[in-house]
Amino acid sequence: MKGIVFVKFSEFIEELWGEEFWDTLLNEANLESEGVYTTVGTYDDEELFTLIGLVVEKQNISSKEAQFAFGKWIFKELYNAAPPGAHDFKDVFEFLHAVQNYIHVEVKKLNPDALLPEFDFLSESATTLSFHYQSPRKLCFFCEGIVYGLAEHTKQKVQVSQSECEHEGDGRCVIEVVKI
Amino acid sequence: MTLTKEELEKRVSILERKALREKKARILAENQLEKYSLNIYTANQSLERALASSQQKQLKLEYLSQTSSDVASEISLVEMISNMVKLTGNFCSANCGCFIVTKNGKEVNGNLTYGWHADENYQETGEFKAFIKGTLPLADLTILEAWIVSDIKHPQNSEPQGSLFYTNFELATDEIGWLIFINQNNEFDNKTRTVLNTSRQHFISGIRRRLTEVEILKRNTQFENSIDKLEKARRQLIQSEKMASLGQLAAGVAHEINNPIAFISSNMEVLKDYLADYKKLNEELKENFDQNSLLEASVYEAICKKIDLSYIEEDSDDLLQSNIEGLERVKEIINNLKCFSHSGDDILLEISLNTCILAALRITGNLFKYEHKVVNKITDSCPLILGNTGQLQQVFVNLFVNAAHAMESSGELTIDFTHEEEGITVHVSDSGKGMDESTLKKLFTPFFTTKPVGKGTGLGLSVSYAILEAHGAKITVDSKLNVGTTFNILFPVIS
Repeated sequence: MKGIVFVKFSEFIEELWGEEFWDTLLNEANLESEGVYTTVGTYDDEELFTLIGLVVEKQNISSKEAQFAFGKWIFKELYNAAPPGAHDFKDVFEFLHAVQNYIHVEVKKLNPDALLPEFDFLSESATTLSFHYQSPRKLCFFCEGIVYGLAEHTKQKVQVSQSECEHEGDGRCVIEVVKI
Repeated sequence: MTLTKEELEKRVSILERKALREKKARILAENQLEKYSLNIYTANQSLERALASSQQKQLKLEYLSQTSSDVASEISLVEMISNMVKLTGNFCSANCGCFIVTKNGKEVNGNLTYGWHADENYQETGEFKAFIKGTLPLADLTILEAWIVSDIKHPQNSEPQGSLFYTNFELATDEIGWLIFINQNNEFDNKTRTVLNTSRQHFISGIRRRLTEVEILKRNTQFENSIDKLEKARRQLIQSEKMASLGQLAAGVAHEINNPIAFISSNMEVLKDYLADYKKLNEELKENFDQNSLLEASVYEAICKKIDLSYIEEDSDDLLQSNIEGLERVKEIINNLKCFSHSGDDILLEISLNTCILAALRITGNLFKYEHKVVNKITDSCPLILGNTGQLQQVFVNLFVNAAHAMESSGELTIDFTHEEEGITVHVSDSGKGMDESTLKKLFTPFFTTKPVGKGTGLGLSVSYAILEAHGAKITVDSKLNVGTTFNILFPVIS
C-alpha cells in the first residue's frame, strides 16, 4: 500500500488520540517498517490492518467504525494531493465517476505499481448511484467513509450503505449512495 | 498545566522516538528520491539513445523513400542518376561523389558523367577523377553485386584517410555505370550498408525500366515502319494479283477483241472492193459521157446493174454499221480493262454493285462458252454500297474466273442478291464441281490453289478476302462436291 495512506493514518490517530497513543500502537505492533513511513514509499498492507486492529482493541470500537472514520477524515487530505484536474467537480456522483475515469488514471501514471480499487457502476438515477466496489483489500467501509468525506466537501447530504457486502457473507460489495 | 518529572521524561522519550522515525523517514525519502533521479536519468539516457536511433532510421527511410520515388517517377535517366548521386552523397555524409560510364573498360565522356561535392563552392580540379582512375578497377568488366567499401590510405605513411565506396551495374551493351563516393570521416555500419544496397537494387531496376522504355520506343518505331511497309506490300500484292488474273484473262479478252477486229477487217476488204466498183462505175460513166456528150438513162442503168450498185449501197450501210458496232465493242472491252487494271486508291465511295458486276462480267464474258449460261439477277434496285469499284471488280472477276474454271464444259453462273438485317448479300453460285472440306478450309490461304501451274496464283481469294475485309464485308462459302459452290458476300448498308 502506498505510503501516503500510512502517513495520513498516523496524522489521523495523532489528531484524534495524540502522539502518545500512536507511539503506543507502534510499540505494540512491532512492525517491520518500525512505523517509519514516507509518502513516496510502499508498505505491506498487513501493517495497516495490524494498526487498525490495535485501535479497535484499545479504543473499544468496531473495525467498521475505525475504517469509516479514517475514510471520512482522509478525503480532504487525498483531495489536496489529487492531480490538478480533479478539483473541478462539484457533485458526488460526478466525482465518483471521475475517480474511476480520471483520478486513478493519473495516479497510475505516477505510480504504475499502485493497486487501486475499481468501481463498476451498476445503476444511476438523479438521486441514487450504486456501484460494485472491487479491491482485494476489501476496505469497503473505508470507501464508504471517503464518500461521506466527499459529500462534506461538495456540501451535499448523502446516505451511504451497502446492499451487498463481502464482510456480511455476500459475494461482492455493492455501495449505494443516495442524495438526501 | 504542569507535568511531573516522570510525565516529562515519558513525553521526551515519545518525542525522541517520533523524531527518530521522522529522521529515518527523511533518509528513506531521500534515498527514494535519489533512486527516482537515477531512474529518470537512466530513462533519459535510453530515450536519447532511442531518439538518436529513430533519427537515424528516419534518415534511412527518407533516403530510401526519396530514391524509390525517383525510381518510380517519370524523370529522365540523367536526372534520376544525378539525384541518386546527390541523395546518396548526403545520406552517407560523403565528401564527394560521381557517376561515370565505362565502355569496354574505358571511361566514356558523355552527358551521363556527373560529379557532386558536399561543399557547394568546391572547384573541380580533376584530382578526384584522377584518384578514381588510379584506384578503381574500371577496366574490370565484372558487375558487382553490392556496394564495395575500401579504406583510403595515405600514400606515404599508410595512415587511414577515410573510405571509398562504389558500385557498378550494367547500363547497356558493353556499358557499365559506376557510382563512386569518398568519405573522409565516417565508417559504415552494417545497417547503412543494407540501406545502400536496398536503394541500389531500386536504382538498378529504375535504370533497367528506363532503358527498356527507350528500347520499346525504338521497337515501336520499327514496328510502325514495318506496318507501313506491309501496307505498301499489301497494295502491291493486290495490284500484282490483278495483273496476274489479267494475264489469265488475256487470251479470252484477245479473242473478244479479235472477233470484231476480224469481221471489221473482212468488212473493210469488202468495202475496198465496193470502192473499186465505184471507181470503175465512175470511169465508165465518164467515158460514155465523153463519147456521146450525154448520158442516157438506159446506159446508166445498165452500168449500175453491171456492178449491182443497189446491193453495194445497201451492203455498205450494213457493213459500216457492223464496223461501228464492232469498234464500240472493242472500245468497251478496253475501257473495262483500263478500269480493272488501274491501281487506284483505297477511297470508298457510294457505288452501284450492278455496274461493278456488269463490268466484271464483260471482262470475263469470254470464259463462259455457248454451253454456259450466265444468269445475272442483279438490277439497279440493288442498293448502293460504300466501296471501291476497281477493287470490288477485282473480287467479282476473281469469283467469275473461279466459277468458269469449276464448270469446264457447261454449267450455270447465277448472280443474285438478298436483303439482310445488316446489309445486302450478293450470292455468286456456280453449278461446277464443288469443293471438299479440306479445300474449303484452305480456301482463303495465300498461295493455295487447286488449279494447274500457270492457271492460278493461289492469291486470288486471299486478296479478295483482304479487299472485302477493308470494305467491312463478310464472305462465306457453301459448297457441295459435284453440285456447285456459292460465295455469299455481305456488304454493310450505307447508314
